[in-house]
Amino acid sequence: MLRFWGPLRSPVSFSVSSVQSIMSKRKVKDAALPVGECITQVQKILRERLCHQQLPEKPEGLEAQHKHLLELLKRTAVHGESNSVLIVGPRGAGKTMLLKCVLRDLLEETEAQKNLLQVHLNGLLQTDDRIALKEITRQLHLENVVGDKVFGSFAENLAFLLEALKKGDRSSSRPVLFVLDEFDLFAHHKNQTLLYNLFDVSQSAQAPIAVVGITCRLDVLELLEKRVKSRFSHRQIHLLSSLTSTQYLERVQTQLSLPDHFPDGQFAQDWNDSIKTLCRDKSVGEILQRHFNSSKDFRSLHMLLMLCLSRVSVAKPTIKPIDVQEASRVCFADATANMLRGLSILELCLIIAMKHLNDVYEGEPFNLQMVHNEFKKFLQRKSNSMYNFERPVIMKAFEHLQELELIRPVDGSSAKTQREYRLMRLMLDHSQIVEALQKYPQCPTEVKQWGMSAFG
Amino acid sequence: TPRHATPSIPSRSLPARQPANVLEEARARLHVSSVPESLPCREQEFQDVYSFVESKIIDGTGGCMYISGVPGTGKTATIHEVMRCLQHAADVDEIPPFHFIEINGMKMTDPHQAYVQILQKLTGEKATADHAAVLLEKRFSNPAPKKKTTVLLVDELDLLWTRKQNVMYNLFDWPTRRHAHLVVLTIANTMDLPERIMINRVASRLGLTRMSFQPYSFKQLQQIITSRLNKVKAFEEDALQLVSRKVAALSGDARRCLDICRRATEICEHSSTTGLVGMCHVMEALNEMFSSAYITAIKWAAVQEQLFLRAVIAEFRRLGLEEATFQQVFVQHQALCRVEGLQPISVSEGMAVCQRLGACRLLLLESSRHGVLQRVRLNVSQDDVLYALKAD
Repeated sequence: MLRFWGPLRSPVSFSVSSVQSIMSKRKVKDAALPVGECITQVQKILRERLCHQQLPEKPEGLEAQHKHLLELLKRTAVHGESNSVLIVGPRGAGKTMLLKCVLRDLLEETEAQKNLLQVHLNGLLQTDDRIALKEITRQLHLENVVGDKVFGSFAENLAFLLEALKKGDRSSSRPVLFVLDEFDLFAHHKNQTLLYNLFDVSQSAQAPIAVVGITCRLDVLELLEKRVKSRFSHRQIHLLSSLTSTQYLERVQTQLSLPDHFPDGQFAQDWNDSIKTLCRDKSVGEILQRHFNSSKDFRSLHMLLMLCLSRVSVAKPTIKPIDVQEASRVCFADATANMLRGLSILELCLIIAMKHLNDVYEGEPFNLQMVHNEFKKFLQRKSNSMYNFERPVIMKAFEHLQELELIRPVDGSSAKTQREYRLMRLMLDHSQIVEALQKYPQCPTEVKQWGMSAFG
Repeated sequence: TPRHATPSIPSRSLPARQPANVLEEARARLHVSSVPESLPCREQEFQDVYSFVESKIIDGTGGCMYISGVPGTGKTATIHEVMRCLQHAADVDEIPPFHFIEINGMKMTDPHQAYVQILQKLTGEKATADHAAVLLEKRFSNPAPKKKTTVLLVDELDLLWTRKQNVMYNLFDWPTRRHAHLVVLTIANTMDLPERIMINRVASRLGLTRMSFQPYSFKQLQQIITSRLNKVKAFEEDALQLVSRKVAALSGDARRCLDICRRATEICEHSSTTGLVGMCHVMEALNEMFSSAYITAIKWAAVQEQLFLRAVIAEFRRLGLEEATFQQVFVQHQALCRVEGLQPISVSEGMAVCQRLGACRLLLLESSRHGVLQRVRLNVSQDDVLYALKAD
């Protein structure tokens, strides 16, 4: 085989290298690449930015917080001062991004880079102190760690760690940075032992440590025990964005724009221009305003932009206003209304009956018997035998609704009662039912009328 | 298995930088960890504990003492200072030599670990909790020639509570033995802890030697800071007074006071060039540390979130209750949307808005599996919400 391929290989490799040399020459001249390649590059760059949470050069709108945190951590790393701080902000406000940016900037300094030890913990992974302690010991490479295993019992591990920290002092031992993600979950551990000990070390003359907690709860300090709270330094960095809608629009534009180092200069220019015109478009502005009104969370914005971006292809190499509209429609779609559209007519009728029961009895729970009676009233009035189903069929439909969690048994009435008499509540808003009736494909007129009428 | 591992944190390659200017010097002195040689404003307590322990050491008897006080009033620091002085006295042969060991209830995983730690600190042996209890029992009940007095400090006593209270019982029973020569000092936060959680035979052994540390008054706090600064001129007098008055009014916690001063030096460093921490810096630090973020959070919330909060209040007013279901609030929300001229939102979106407010605890919610039937409550007062929404 080798001999057979041998002579063939050299011309092939030659041609590849020649193509590469031509390509590199092209790159130097910054000439046009084929559109397909450009689109692949665009997708790659923007997807990295939107989905992989790529760090920005500078955290926008968070300069003061960035400076505060950087100064604080620098003092721990360089001067050996112990500190504790909490970063508080709603979900998607950029708490982790801020911390990562600060760490990146901090580690540029050699003095910090050589000395700082880091321990990262997450409240969702380290669900109790035992696991958290093992993780700390492992990440610090203390001497009771062999390979990846931590030896000793929980009590021994704690004693060992505290002894190690106690032996250190401000000027000679390496500072340790503890990052506690989902800080509020650590406050639910038994006795808050870990938090007490970390804060206690940060407030006594032992190894210098910085404790950084990240949480989205504004009332996090109320979760701490008195003695733990007293040892915490009460520094809080709040990330509450004072973003205005114009800044929001700018942010969309910068998020979608291509960087200067894009291989094909002309394409990048065109793309950026098209993004600019897109952002100036009136309908797009309205949609973005609506998103901005709904939340200032950047993650939901990134979600929207991802949906727009996924509609870009070789055949359609720009984002058009229609794409944004389409993406926004997907984002704002009501999940339950979609589910209602997939029900059978019988199930829809049962839901209408429940709606009428709710109207008449002001939200009191109902059971299958009552729903069936209500349904029978409808059938009698219409003298229409088309929907005259047997009871087991109705029962089946009722159970299907329960499985979809459109109805829900009242708490505590489940096990003992028979199925027909189990009390239920409807988990739908009336507006959803009305909307579903209007959008239901080929809904029979009498059902629709019955549903829309105020009286059952 | 590493049997004789020595616990340590690796040492740094470059030594830490020394403070370069006045503010940095002040900051280093104000750090809670730099406990001064002698504690100001705790002379009386110091004297009481000192004479108690000294008399027990000299007599060669045992005893218990219970010390209480809110966090940050200098309990542990005072005891440590007493022990330092006694150690010094023992070194110059004024009093017989003694052991000093300390345990902390928060620094162990289980109350029974107390035995293990005491034994290890006394003799260096390692044993399981049960075995350590037996060994300690033997040690304290049997006579031995030339036995030194042991002073045992038990911090965070309330954590040593077990259902049978045998750990506490033993701790207070050992000093009553003739041959034990044990002095037990216990520290906890609440004054009535012995009456509240201890059964009679434990409380009676603890005895009536009690001491309580009062929260610092503003003069004392001021004195503490001044003594810490020790002639480093970094603060204006008025600024110090403001900090101590504020903290004394709230809690009397010395740690809080020091932390605020430290933060004020940082703010001063960034803002001005005068190099003296003034009123404005202290005010800013106080605001940062004492103010709650609820109002700002509401003020900067998205439009729909603010609208939802208004809908919640409107529904509460209509019902006359402090609780409503999401469905009821949502009806109000839709109406408010129409009034404000916004596009009405879908139930899913409304639910998302509600969950976001619940996640940062502006609202208290039932679990989301209840769907539109979940009950909603406010976690802030209605007045705060109205104030925040009206302010702009």
